[in-house]
Amino acid sequence: MTRVLVADDSETILLLMRTRLELAGYEVETAADGQEVTERLHDGESGPLPDLLLLDAMMPRKSGIDALRELRAAGVETPALIVSAHQDATDADAPSDLEVSGYLTKPIDFDRLLDSIAELTS
Amino acid sequence: MSPSLANRLRIGFAIGFAVLTAMAVIGVGRFIQQRQDFEDAIARSYQVEMTARLRLERAGKPAAARATAVKETARRSELRDQISDDSRDTALLVAAGLIAGLTGALLLFSGLIASMRQPLEELVAAAGRLAAGDRSTRVRVGGLSETATLGAAFNEMATELEQEASQRDQLDRLKDEFVLTTSHELRSPLTSVQGFAELLMLERDSLTPKQAETVEIILDNCRHLVRLLNDLLDLARSDAGRLAITPRPTAVAPLIDDAVRTMRAQTETSNQALSQQIEPGLPLIEVEPDRIRQILVNLLTNAHEYSPPGASIEVTARVVGADVEIAVTDNGPGIPESQLDHVFERFTRGDAGLTQRVGGTGLGLAISKSLVELHGGTIAVESTPGVGSTFSFRLPVARR
Repeated sequence: MTRVLVADDSETILLLMRTRLELAGYEVETAADGQEVTERLHDGESGPLPDLLLLDAMMPRKSGIDALRELRAAGVETPALIVSAHQDATDADAPSDLEVSGYLTKPIDFDRLLDSIAELTS
Repeated sequence: MSPSLANRLRIGFAIGFAVLTAMAVIGVGRFIQQRQDFEDAIARSYQVEMTARLRLERAGKPAAARATAVKETARRSELRDQISDDSRDTALLVAAGLIAGLTGALLLFSGLIASMRQPLEELVAAAGRLAAGDRSTRVRVGGLSETATLGAAFNEMATELEQEASQRDQLDRLKDEFVLTTSHELRSPLTSVQGFAELLMLERDSLTPKQAETVEIILDNCRHLVRLLNDLLDLARSDAGRLAITPRPTAVAPLIDDAVRTMRAQTETSNQALSQQIEPGLPLIEVEPDRIRQILVNLLTNAHEYSPPGASIEVTARVVGADVEIAVTDNGPGIPESQLDHVFERFTRGDAGLTQRVGGTGLGLAISKSLVELHGGTIAVESTPGVGSTFSFRLPVARR
């Protein structure tokens, strides 16, 4: 089953994502911030890498952008989607050294999100 | 304390008055004295003549008496010449004194004017700069006390203006910051509300019709809130000068096609005819396509929402001078003349009856205006109540 790691500092958003993605047939893991994401993936204790990262751009302790930068530096090439509260988040907002598969804005258009996930994990 | 103009004038006048008075007194005094001396001398001359003639004639020397008379007559003639010369000299002296006094006064005044001119010119120039918006402008304080006081007052005023402007700028920045942060912070809870409502709708079949309708209302309002947040954000960015565009040469027809396609479902629901008429061979325009699409959708949404079912809406595009003009025309109720001047202001909407039915944010036209102007274009409205409205905007043709 396709595994998606979702990171957001809002428990409600995590619950929403989990419910919605599980309904669509994905296995969902959650993290409260970027720190948790990097720790978990670096340790490698959670088994194999997830198939997709869904990271909030702004989180306390460590942002999704910073977490992704660390992961990329460590050679993790898992596709990643960045969720931003900015209305017009574009590639221009993120550093070009990051391989980001796409940007989503809040409120999330789940149809688009599910399409993107399906495309990236197929 | 610098010397004052009034004091200088007072002193100048006093000195001038004293000099002129002295000249007059001395002149007149001398004139009277000369006249007096002259008359005394004439009288003495007659007396000498009479005495001598009496004495000499009595002594039987008529020749000597005649000689004395001739001598005294000559002397008197000399005295008359003398007084005439003296009077002229005195008059000349007084005239010279007057001229000298007037010249002195003129020099004094021109000196005063010169000492006023430089600071006044500086003040005039500085006032011009201040009026033109340069609030950091100041003048040198100095010279006469009047210009010094004026200069100091001017500087104080400029300082106050500068402080007020910087406070206002700061308030504006705080406001923009507040709107940006608020709009940002509201998005997370809004995501949850909308997301969970959508989850409910996924199980629509297990909801009662009443429940489904309730969830629809929640979703409608979520979408409205999102629009409002996006619009507020655009306006705040525009106010803060942070609404950036990256214009590029763009074809007009696909933009209009796109916007019309976006609106088609809504106009068809209301049975409104949506058509487009694009002049063939339109040049490319220098714009950011997404933003122009946003303007078009704003204008079309207004036309759709304010016009009754069955109305017709037309988008036209044509060349006007060096611009391309795109217009959205409807045959809806039109806008009363009293409101026409305000339609591009924020939160200005049609009359209350319509507003209830219409779901807009009241910001669409304000944003459209900002966006058009950001592209270096202009936007305008024409409307006749009962006939319809036309919103048109002009955008610069792309340079090759």
